[in-house]
Amino acid sequence: MTEKLQTRTGIPPAPRKRSRHVALFLAGAAVMTLAACEDDKTDAAAFPDLDSCVSEARKGSLFFTEQDCQTQFAQAQQDYLETAPRYESQELCEQEHGAGNCGGDPAQAQSGGGMGSIFMPLFMGYMLGSMMGGGRGISSQPMVKTAQGGFSTPSGNQSFASNRGVGKVPTSAFAKAPSTIGKPPMSRAQVSSRGGFGAASTARGGMRGAGG
Amino acid sequence: MQKVPLPERPGWRERATELGFTFADMGGEPYWDETSAYRFSLRQIEDDIEDPSTELHGMVREAVATALASDEWLERMQIPQQFWDFLADSWKDGEPELYGRMDLSYDGHGPAKLLEYNADTPTSLYESASFQWDWLEEQQRLGVLTADTDQFNALHEALVARWAEIAAPDTDIHFAADPDNPEDYATVEALAWAAREAGLGAHFTSLAAIGLTEEGQFADDQDRVIGTLFKLYPWEDMLRDEFAAHLGPSGVRFIEPPWKAVVSNKALLPLLWQMFPGHPNLLPAFFAADVAEALTGGAPATRVANAFAAAQDVLQQGHVSKPIFSREGAGVVIREQGRETDRAPDDSYDDHPRIIQALAPLPEFGGFHAVIGAWIVGESCVGMGIREDASRITHNLSRFKPHYIED
Repeated sequence: MTEKLQTRTGIPPAPRKRSRHVALFLAGAAVMTLAACEDDKTDAAAFPDLDSCVSEARKGSLFFTEQDCQTQFAQAQQDYLETAPRYESQELCEQEHGAGNCGGDPAQAQSGGGMGSIFMPLFMGYMLGSMMGGGRGISSQPMVKTAQGGFSTPSGNQSFASNRGVGKVPTSAFAKAPSTIGKPPMSRAQVSSRGGFGAASTARGGMRGAGG
Repeated sequence: MQKVPLPERPGWRERATELGFTFADMGGEPYWDETSAYRFSLRQIEDDIEDPSTELHGMVREAVATALASDEWLERMQIPQQFWDFLADSWKDGEPELYGRMDLSYDGHGPAKLLEYNADTPTSLYESASFQWDWLEEQQRLGVLTADTDQFNALHEALVARWAEIAAPDTDIHFAADPDNPEDYATVEALAWAAREAGLGAHFTSLAAIGLTEEGQFADDQDRVIGTLFKLYPWEDMLRDEFAAHLGPSGVRFIEPPWKAVVSNKALLPLLWQMFPGHPNLLPAFFAADVAEALTGGAPATRVANAFAAAQDVLQQGHVSKPIFSREGAGVVIREQGRETDRAPDDSYDDHPRIIQALAPLPEFGGFHAVIGAWIVGESCVGMGIREDASRITHNLSRFKPHYIED
């Protein structure tokens, strides 16, 4: 080794064909890490139903109590009724939320109908957030299904792979979505303001990555 | 070029997990496989891969100018007519390319042959630029490889430099991909690391969450207007999506630029052969519609009669047929001596016109067929990644193999 080094003395180092350094780390599928200007994060926990929230609260390891589960479940159901997206046809609703994930508008059913048919994604659970920093205690959001098989808040601004689990989410995910109750349901043209990329496929087959 | 069995680095799987390389194993099979590596001489790298690939990219640029100036080629490439100007303007405005990967058939001897050029949405970037680099550094540290060994892998540095060249400091770049596909996501993440290092802002948005504002601009999943968009999503799909009509009016700068739609299109291969017939790094290639009958005893289309006659013997011996749009080997069919000898199981692109290309069989090493991925950043070849598969047709689960240079 020493000998080798000596013979090289005075000779400029051979040009090297690789980078001097590289960025080694990825964050895996932690989507948020790329958003440099993302907002504050807060602790959140999602549950498909009231019971699973309660049994988690009894363990006492998270940020909410059994009482929070109850209160927020009622709140989430109320928010669901007020803010979940409303569509003018079942077909359009299922296109956005997946087959079998839609139903009629419960508010319309209560009021005796009269507005024509309105369809909504089903209530699929709720998400609790710790809003301690702002002095607001515990906040919640109802969850509905997405067409991709995941779950989202009613506004669709945050989506999740599951309706069960804990994690950090942006505080904005707990902002109440605009009210949809009593408003005319969305037509196909209104829906298309998002999701206009990714549907066309020159491959006629099933799921595949877009890259190659 | 040799395949050399080497000890795996102890704990590399844990290292992969720690780094976020979550798809080192896929479908129960290794994807990253370092039980052996490919050894090259510097001459092989420089003379047979690096320089020819850079030259090929230059030829591709000439072909782009030809295709964009020809209604006939744009039609044959199935570029929807309403976008011809959109593509041509991006070329005339000199919108710069970022990266691409040429797939080459090369066995260590003689000229490498261009199989195809994924110049729009190539993946396996993280594995090539980063994990492969780390493999070499660590194998040298462990004494498995000597300090004299090298690797053809200036990808990361070249990407940082290219970003700095093509975007003003502090430009915000949106990276759109499918967040549920780990390979696609890792590729945009690797690009975003380089963009950040170049002093740019990098933001991720799910492709499906991109919205259209009332002013006709595109907005990300948090309603921020998009100025510059890197999309790991093929142009051929982009041009057929519901938002397609808004692409131009949105004012977004796209990376890759729209003109890349004619580069990642496999119809580029017959065009290259028409422009540079007999080039040592090209394979004879034709539209299937022009020569399918001729291959079974009929006559070729008049426009290619001479070129076909010159290549007929080679094509009869063996050729590959593939749809002009396809990814990851889908739709590839191999015929030798008039008989079908191989067919990709995935036929999801079969609705599209096909091209015929002379067969350049991938070299076999220990039961695996290796394909070279030559990385282009900007206009130069700057690195290499190797995939291998037991099948003769490389596909999306084919293994990634590290390489090193030792004379």
